[in-house]
Amino acid sequence: MSRPTARKAAPKGEYIETDSGNKVSRRSAITGTANITLGGRTVIMADVVLRGDLHPTRAVPSSSGKEVTPTSISIGRCTVISTGSVIKPPSRISRGQTHYYPMKIGDNVFVGPNCTISAISISSHVHIGANVTIHPFALIKENVKILPNTVVPANMVISSGSVVGGRPARIVGEVGEGWGVSGGGAGTGLGVGGGSEEKWVEGGDLRELVRSIK
Amino acid sequence: MAQPFPYTYYACDCYDSNNTTSSKRASQILAAAEEEDRTFDPRSPRSNYSLYPLEHLLYCEDCQQIRCPRCVLEETLNWYCPSCLFEVPSSVVKSDGNRCTRNCYNCPICTSPMTVNSLDTSNDNGPPYILACPYCHWSTVEIGIEFEKHTGISSQLARIANGGKPIPTQKERDKERERRKELGSRKRDGRDVLSHSEDSPSTDTERDDPPPSHDDVFSNLGAFYKAQIEAQTPSNPFSPHDITFSSPSAYNRIMNLYSNTSSKRNKRQKPAPMREAASLIEGLTVHNPSADAAAIERIKKEGWAATLSPAQKLTQINPNIRFESDLRPIATLLCTKRSKRCRSCRHILSKPESKITSTRYKIKLLALNHIPRLSIRALPSTATMPPPPSSSTQQPQFNYNALNSGIPTHFLLHLSNPLFDPIRVTLATPSTTPGKVQSRVTILCPQFEVGANTDVWDDALSSSLSPIKRGSIINADGQIEAGKIWDRGRNWTSVVIEVVPGFLKPVAGFGQQVDGADGEEELGEDEDVLEIPVFVRIEFEADVNAEERGLGDARGSKGERERREEAFWTVVGVGKIAGM
Ligand SMILES: [Zn+2]
Ligand SMILES: [Zn+2]
Ligand SMILES: [Zn+2]
Ligand SMILES: [Zn+2]
Repeated sequence: MSRPTARKAAPKGEYIETDSGNKVSRRSAITGTANITLGGRTVIMADVVLRGDLHPTRAVPSSSGKEVTPTSISIGRCTVISTGSVIKPPSRISRGQTHYYPMKIGDNVFVGPNCTISAISISSHVHIGANVTIHPFALIKENVKILPNTVVPANMVISSGSVVGGRPARIVGEVGEGWGVSGGGAGTGLGVGGGSEEKWVEGGDLRELVRSIK
Repeated sequence: MAQPFPYTYYACDCYDSNNTTSSKRASQILAAAEEEDRTFDPRSPRSNYSLYPLEHLLYCEDCQQIRCPRCVLEETLNWYCPSCLFEVPSSVVKSDGNRCTRNCYNCPICTSPMTVNSLDTSNDNGPPYILACPYCHWSTVEIGIEFEKHTGISSQLARIANGGKPIPTQKERDKERERRKELGSRKRDGRDVLSHSEDSPSTDTERDDPPPSHDDVFSNLGAFYKAQIEAQTPSNPFSPHDITFSSPSAYNRIMNLYSNTSSKRNKRQKPAPMREAASLIEGLTVHNPSADAAAIERIKKEGWAATLSPAQKLTQINPNIRFESDLRPIATLLCTKRSKRCRSCRHILSKPESKITSTRYKIKLLALNHIPRLSIRALPSTATMPPPPSSSTQQPQFNYNALNSGIPTHFLLHLSNPLFDPIRVTLATPSTTPGKVQSRVTILCPQFEVGANTDVWDDALSSSLSPIKRGSIINADGQIEAGKIWDRGRNWTSVVIEVVPGFLKPVAGFGQQVDGADGEEELGEDEDVLEIPVFVRIEFEADVNAEERGLGDARGSKGERERREEAFWTVVGVGKIAGM
């Protein structure tokens, strides 16, 4: 068994940490980095695919006349994209041409392992379970929980506070009033809820989780 | 919603008590619980309705009680469509029902939200339009419906029947009904309405027509009842044509209006009993054996695949349809924003901001701010456990889904305190879990204290709070000593709980009674799930709350403290026992 301290001292860690505290796995597959923005303290785990190369191709009007780099994926603060997930901006075909639309992911969003995400927007404090597929142009509002193995159909709007599950996804419940509230120092010690191995709460502030990822 | 292991559910005790308990003190409940020696049984069917995750519970500060969805009163603040996120005024909900009247539809096959697509391939998305399901690719083409515009789908759909034929409007229906009534009465020539049957000449035309639609029957019946009421109140000055008789209350109101303004002669007169609908134009539906025969023929030809599943049938407005060709897109059901009140004292416990887009709350009294959070996790095997606590992240993952029968396993029960006062905690648990698979449970340190939820920085400053030395809790034999806590921090304490998972099948000579009859019995669903009921009692001293202090202010007792206690059952889901 290797001591954790020994691991830390290794020349190359699992993650590359940026100035704003983003942690990007060396084993992730990111294309079109210029078209991707990470808000800070966001984690991109191993085997995650970010398709930044699929950016809007339509002329972006710019006031200065300069070339503006189109954004394809923007991810907020303290968001975690778990291993094996694929983030691909949604596209539409018109007049035989494929047009990509920029995707926006908010703060404190947890994306579980092995998800495929093509939503147009995911708001803050959303928890997405493992193996979830979100089809193009789905719109997910704040404080939503998507159960594992759910398939969210294209264009579906999930209103805030919903719990959705199934194939295709349907509203199966509401998150409790206490959604995302860590309440009385769960920050120290153990968390709660499902799989309470972790020191964080679903839908809550993911800072602790981000800090613990090394 | 099944949660992954491990989890903790909290029991609200409103499930077996009437409103009287709300006035009981926690100590009384405890005493009652002890008296009856009753253990909370998570397997009891009733427990399904009293166990909740902590974040779903509210707390009434006046009653000093947990409040679960069953002991709160809900008040609807507003209605909105979950798909287009538009608020629907309550007047519209009353008149048009609880469905979106914009362009929001769900697929009648798979429930996925449908999109408006253009069938036009030549130029830019012109007419005709259809509603299509992006998930299962069902579309209104399959029921022969196309739209001229891509907006106002609801009003267009209301005018098109399956197959593309127009649906008559209410006015047209009324006109048609009048025409038939006249025709019928003229031809029947004064015959009794009830004898209206096959030999009546008017039925010749009726027989050739397709059977009346659900809407036709409804409007016929509505018109018939309206006519009946009018017949009862012939001189009603309040123009009944403007009033809907769809609800009994409206009918009552009209009757009252009438009786108040009319002479006593009418009041004395006993109203003639209303007769029931007796013909098709009055809304009577006669069983039609040929329709049944046709349906059977169709199933023979097209098979079960063309019929509807019960779930698909239930979502349809018309409950009598059988075939996929009869399906209609389902208008999206509205959602509500609701405030919640305590059922016993009526204080508001939660009230969201009424704006649809807002996710904030005006009032939100959460249980997790008032009662300790209990969580459990596996303790790494004591034999191989390395002393530094920070190394725990490097431990191999414990498999909660395969607990080993008969092997003592240690778990950590972790209690964190949301209160600003330190609490004394007493935990209690039955020595064996209820249910067929009996697991032995021992909390090694059932009584302990948990610090106050003070400022986070206090924690950092008072680092003098020395960490518990693991060596002291593990004795010479490598056993964890009873009566000592495992670890503690600013506002949390953890203790060790020893669990010996039971055997799924009785094993002879393993301390478990082998009951011949019991042994043969099949285990029910989820019998292998190890859930431990844990009774939690906390005692603490708190400031007398603001309201009570207000009353006592005259005595100048500002810093007065009162002793308080809370007691409740929790159920800790430890994991699943592996088969052998
Ligand atoms: Zn309750
Ligand atoms: Zn709508
Ligand atoms: Zn469908
Ligand atoms: Zn109350």
